[in-house]
Amino acid sequence: MGTLSPDSPWTIWVIFSPLAGAVFTFLWPRRARLAVPLVALGTVGSVACLVWQVAELGVQSHALGGWAAPLGINLYADGLSAMMLLTTALVGAAVTFYATEYFRRASETARYFWPLWLCLWTALNALFLSWDIFNLYVAFELLGLAAIALVALAGSADALTGAMRYLLVSLLGSLTYLLGVALFYSTYGTLDIGLLGDLTAPSAASWAATGLMVAGLLLKTALFPLHFWLPPAHAAAPTPVSAILSALVVKASFYLLLRLWLEVFPVTAAGLGHLLGLLGALAIVWGSLQALRQTRLKLLVAYSTVAQLGYLFLAFPLALSPVAATAWSASVFFILSHALAKAAMFLAAGNILRFAGHDRIAELGRAPYGVSLSWAAFGVAGISIIGLPPSVGFAAKWLQLEAALAGGQWWWTLPIVGGGLLATAYVFKIISCVFSQNGRTSGTNGISWRMEWTAFGLSLAALGIGFAAPQLLALLNSGTPLALHEVGSAP
Amino acid sequence: MDGAVNAAAWAFDALLVLTLLWLAWRVLMGPDLFKSIVFFIAFGLVMALAWVRLRAPDVALAEAAIGAGLTGALFLAALSRLAAGERIANAKRPVENSDTGKSTRPHRGVRMVFIAMSALFFGGLAAALLSLPAEAPGLTIQVAENLSTSGVSNPVTAVLLNFRGYDTLLEMGVLFLAVVAAWSLTPAPKEPVSPPGIVLASFVRVLSPMLLLAAGYLLWAGTHAPGGAFQAGSVLAAAAVLLLLSGKDMKANWPEWPLRVVLGLGLGVFIAIGLVMMLIGHRFLEYPLDYAGDLILLIEVAATLSIGVTLAALFLGGRPQRDERK
Repeated sequence: MGTLSPDSPWTIWVIFSPLAGAVFTFLWPRRARLAVPLVALGTVGSVACLVWQVAELGVQSHALGGWAAPLGINLYADGLSAMMLLTTALVGAAVTFYATEYFRRASETARYFWPLWLCLWTALNALFLSWDIFNLYVAFELLGLAAIALVALAGSADALTGAMRYLLVSLLGSLTYLLGVALFYSTYGTLDIGLLGDLTAPSAASWAATGLMVAGLLLKTALFPLHFWLPPAHAAAPTPVSAILSALVVKASFYLLLRLWLEVFPVTAAGLGHLLGLLGALAIVWGSLQALRQTRLKLLVAYSTVAQLGYLFLAFPLALSPVAATAWSASVFFILSHALAKAAMFLAAGNILRFAGHDRIAELGRAPYGVSLSWAAFGVAGISIIGLPPSVGFAAKWLQLEAALAGGQWWWTLPIVGGGLLATAYVFKIISCVFSQNGRTSGTNGISWRMEWTAFGLSLAALGIGFAAPQLLALLNSGTPLALHEVGSAP
Repeated sequence: MDGAVNAAAWAFDALLVLTLLWLAWRVLMGPDLFKSIVFFIAFGLVMALAWVRLRAPDVALAEAAIGAGLTGALFLAALSRLAAGERIANAKRPVENSDTGKSTRPHRGVRMVFIAMSALFFGGLAAALLSLPAEAPGLTIQVAENLSTSGVSNPVTAVLLNFRGYDTLLEMGVLFLAVVAAWSLTPAPKEPVSPPGIVLASFVRVLSPMLLLAAGYLLWAGTHAPGGAFQAGSVLAAAAVLLLLSGKDMKANWPEWPLRVVLGLGLGVFIAIGLVMMLIGHRFLEYPLDYAGDLILLIEVAATLSIGVTLAALFLGGRPQRDERK
């Protein structure tokens, strides 16, 4: 099998390029500056090839070890996996570029950033490709441990407390999920998502398994009111890590919830769907109000993540209608939009923090003049967060409103529109700093052009990728991942 | 006669269950952390017995070695650092807030709610478990059917290293990551090496070669009997922990770079073999039939070394001090 032919297994390279990079950067930390760009290029290249395969040839799968399910583990890539991988690659490449500059001086920390981050990248890619519920648990362990270690890398008391709480939450979520896996396996005798989907039927055990897995994943996705661990951990982490966590890591557990909801869970979960939607709506309101109340820049951005995650969950009730695919697509677009925009915001916030030496919003008055491009990035990313055209955030909201109206559930438009207004308020709270004359910040720490342009570039991508929405929608529907596995989505 | 044996088995199982519950309660509720750890180790050993009763000897071995032995050692090492400067016996649970003297126990009502929720959760779970089919469908039959082409004759090893080798590869990644994470946090504390007593020193001198032998045996036995890389690796780690406790300065004998290489070895060899298989035209990690046994053994040898050194490095609790002077 030639490695460059159309049917070569890019799924494997997508997972093992970053993992090999992690081992390498651990063994030869001094060569990291040379190796990391190559590893990032290799990973992004593999993802690009895989996305091309999925778009042109349809679903890609790989039976690891040559053993088909149920005995072995399958890797499986359809449009949904491809979108998640693509999002991860875009943000991952930008953050890698940013981090080479961010960690230039702090050598001891930098040494461990690279293997940790490359392990995290591996875990994300493995998660988006795995088609086996136990293997997904292992991927989660890898993801959680890497994320926690990265938070603790900041070394401050806040970071260590946040990391500790994150660790406990993450373990609780994983174990709850694992309990559900055990129940499914003892009931149906398989771990393969596809085979399980054919077998699951409503029963006490499969309901218990569903409940446990949903609960574990909600905890990891930080859906209101289980969001308490997110703001301290995301705000206290080093800047590139904040971006990775908010943009990608919380989306991974949402992705899995979506996947299992569509493929595995016995489908009569209408009540649960409405509950998730309600919690999502509350998350939008509560997260936005908390964001408005914050006095620290990074905490504000972190609470904005709590709010934005709420939008993802509106799809669960909206999909209980004939326009289910539209509702699900909206959530996937939200993931892409929020990943790019929030990464841009965190990187910009990190630049401002490093430049001014603090991130107290009220005293940032004069900081703008040194890091104007970062402030611009904040504003442009704000357009996506608020959901104005032409950003991909607008496309997501448009799809969601369409699903709400066409599905006859107009009341869900209230949190969608109201959340946009609240987002406008907190974005303007920050932007208004630029025009105020308060504070006496005179930055002394120079910020390199790379750090500024990465933030700005990401925010432009969030804005501009909206133009590719039709192509992305076509990619997403490759292999029809968004169709419910069984008939009977309506209660 | 059969009835008597059955009754004895039932009585033994009931005793195991009750002991486990009692030990778990003592672990959670005792005011003294040191005692809690001792109870935790006892819990692990009784749990290992329970696994034997459930006819899972591989899990029992792993539980005894890792769950009871090494995790216990890790807890003790952590406790000694928590209580640095104090006497270990004084390390109490933080029930009282030392600043205000106010109890940090939650309000009675809150506790009641939690107890009720836990009971509800437990009841629901128990109901779900009882509704399961008596004979779990499982994959035992498929495993048995394919065992002859897996390269080994122990079904557990066949699953871990062949049928679901990718899971084990990622688990090796988790172990690797654990060391990277521990090293990223802090340098290994410089502990004053007190000269070991004569009993410990001579005991370790006799025991460590035997442990090495046991590790080698477990590794080899894994292909056809309970055992394998994880069990062998943890025995190896136990030997290393004993040597560390008896005051051997491992850092002098283990310069940093070879240490890193051994830590990455298990994962590296696993990935390399997987990729090589793919490049010669198979699936990732698909072993050619004639070489399956040898390749599995190769992976297991590398994994054993890595697991042993990983667990020992975690016991040390930080990156080698050498890192600091640059």
